[in-house]
Amino acid sequence: MNKKALGSLAAAAAAVLALSACGSGGSSEAGKGEINYWLWDANQLPAYKQCADDFHKANPDITVKVTQRGWDDYWGTLTNGFVAGTAPDVFTDHLGKYPEFIKNKQLLALDDAVKKDNIDTSVYNSGLADLWVGQDGKRYGLPKDWDTIALFYNTKLAADAGVTPEQMASLTWNPQDGGTYEKTIAHLTVDKNGKRGDEPGFDKNNVAVYGLGLNGSGSGQGQTEWSYLTGTTDWTHTDKNPWGKHFNYDDPKFQQSIDWFAGLVEKGYMPKLETTVGASMADTFAAGKSVINANGSWMIGQYTGYKDIKVGIAPTPVGVNGKRASMYNGLADSVYAGTKKPEAAIKWVEYLGSAACQDVVASKAVVFPAIKTSADKAVEAFKAKGVDVTPFSEQVKDGTTFLYPIADNAAKVDGIMKPAMDSVVSGKAPASSLTQANDQVNALFK
Amino acid sequence: MTTAKVSAPARATARRRTFTWRRGGAWLLVALAVAVSVLPFYWILRTALSTNGALAGNATNLLPADFNLGAFQRVFGLQSPEEAVAQGGSGAQIDFWIYLRNSVLFASITTTGAVFFSAMAAYAFARLRWRGRNLVFSLFLATMMVPPIFTALPNFLLIKNLGLLNTMVGLVLPYIFMTPFAIFFLRQFFLNMSREVEEAAMLDGAKHLRIFFQIILPNAAAPIATLALLTFIGQWNEYFWPLLVGQDESVRVLTVGLGVFKSQSPQGAPDWSGLMAATLVSALPVLILFAIFGKKIVNSIGFSGIK
Repeated sequence: MNKKALGSLAAAAAAVLALSACGSGGSSEAGKGEINYWLWDANQLPAYKQCADDFHKANPDITVKVTQRGWDDYWGTLTNGFVAGTAPDVFTDHLGKYPEFIKNKQLLALDDAVKKDNIDTSVYNSGLADLWVGQDGKRYGLPKDWDTIALFYNTKLAADAGVTPEQMASLTWNPQDGGTYEKTIAHLTVDKNGKRGDEPGFDKNNVAVYGLGLNGSGSGQGQTEWSYLTGTTDWTHTDKNPWGKHFNYDDPKFQQSIDWFAGLVEKGYMPKLETTVGASMADTFAAGKSVINANGSWMIGQYTGYKDIKVGIAPTPVGVNGKRASMYNGLADSVYAGTKKPEAAIKWVEYLGSAACQDVVASKAVVFPAIKTSADKAVEAFKAKGVDVTPFSEQVKDGTTFLYPIADNAAKVDGIMKPAMDSVVSGKAPASSLTQANDQVNALFK
Repeated sequence: MTTAKVSAPARATARRRTFTWRRGGAWLLVALAVAVSVLPFYWILRTALSTNGALAGNATNLLPADFNLGAFQRVFGLQSPEEAVAQGGSGAQIDFWIYLRNSVLFASITTTGAVFFSAMAAYAFARLRWRGRNLVFSLFLATMMVPPIFTALPNFLLIKNLGLLNTMVGLVLPYIFMTPFAIFFLRQFFLNMSREVEEAAMLDGAKHLRIFFQIILPNAAAPIATLALLTFIGQWNEYFWPLLVGQDESVRVLTVGLGVFKSQSPQGAPDWSGLMAATLVSALPVLILFAIFGKKIVNSIGFSGIK
């Protein structure tokens, strides 16, 4: 290296030092400049971009750069960023992922900030704020939105089969004969010869339209696949939630329900598991190849966006305990522990968790914000778009939801349960085989 | 090849070939092969010109479903997120021209470096005699057996510790010096070159450097062009390493940028039309390269020189 290059390097180093010395007070440096915010859902990007602009107007010395990455790349890129030190200051967090982030000390606890700025966590829908308190009793996220499960159905195909919206809204289910839910699914199924699933001569090996769509085996959660059914049998994933230490996949009630679910494939009412790999259940629905899809409220935009397909939404069936059930999942925004600008990041997280931003999100009619009053506004905004979303919101109002199971070792549990559930739903093993998987899962917590 | 003079009537009969079943079958096979290779491209184009919401319902239609140019507008960033979301597309923006620039830089720097240094190494393995040459060469070949995924993590940490994450230097570093395949490929070729020309040059007092630059390289232009083209295409389509190291907008390449059109939410369907439009646009440069140099690849197997 020649002298000239050395000189310019020294000058550059001095400049960097001078820059970093500006903020020796800490507060001025940590409280202004540009912070990065990541989310995965492109449908929500416009809403959060507007939040960022409003926030910048209120805090002119902080700029928020919003970056969206698809779900498939999001987590890999994020964990890569934790290692490389390039993670965003604030990001959308998921209940299935955050226990591991806490373990690796990658999240900033927000308790002091919540106390100092008098954040009232009672404005959120009940239970959502508690989901984000870790085993150490510290808070690692402020609730941003929630989702529940309902049944999307193809109104034309249902009407062709003589199934009315009223019937769709009053389905019942039990694991022995499947109740009116299975009867309806069977009736909506049509084989290549036009025979319905409940008619004699139905050819289960050549099905043209399936009564119920399949997204996957559901791994250990079954969030959109089967938890709305198992949840009515008073079965729970874990001994307590959050932070359960013991899983219950060996419970006969659960195994009976899963046997019923896997039986739908056997009867030809639901697609084979191998056909779902790499395919999108929603796209299959839009192609008119399935009539009912149980799915989450985050998919409302996707289902109502299809041309030439009219979609109805019905609540999940009333089950064994005489009630409906839906998994209730909440997202939050968390702060990266390695952020260079903790004060600005916390300010932004608090803004994201406030009515000011959540009302903006509500007005775009894409998701249900965590704040009760904002969620009501979202229901109105959906209505204005011509979509009745009460099947999603009524379960929260009626208190028939149960929370997404939060436990340690989520990735390892998934590694055991996904292949185990796959082999049950594909008919290779009976649900009783899950007892063995359950022992493996529980061994993780010993 | 000598062209025999053909008299006019004979040429006419040659043109009026009679139809035989064998000939017809051959043409049919050729037509089929063309269809099999071109149809996927047509399907990409057709999907790119469709609207997401209409795609699934018109799976059997050969024409675009609900024709529009929205997907291409999304690729070039000419559409607001609101419009994109309304079309069932990705509301995320991609900075197409910046990614294109990065892809061109990444592929051309790595190709130039890898081909040049590999040629030098291949010359050393083919022409220079030194102790342990064959051992070193077999070690080189052994590295071809190591799947790239094994070296990804150590490489990543090395680049991170060098402070080169999210820089073009960090992106090209693992590829720029050499690839075992390139060395092997060129060495085989150099071994088959006649030594007489080189020996004559040596008698005239030329040293290895001069022989390499003035005799070997010009004579090996065809295989080097082939190698460069193959390397360029490989680098152009490289995904995993740029995904790890080049996350920043300023160094993101096209392949990584395409990820924006993938699944946007759990269980959500990808923005198919946007993904296909972006794929088509990003495949164009390689297609053009192929059109220009495709003949070279075929011809490079043949070689003229002193036998």
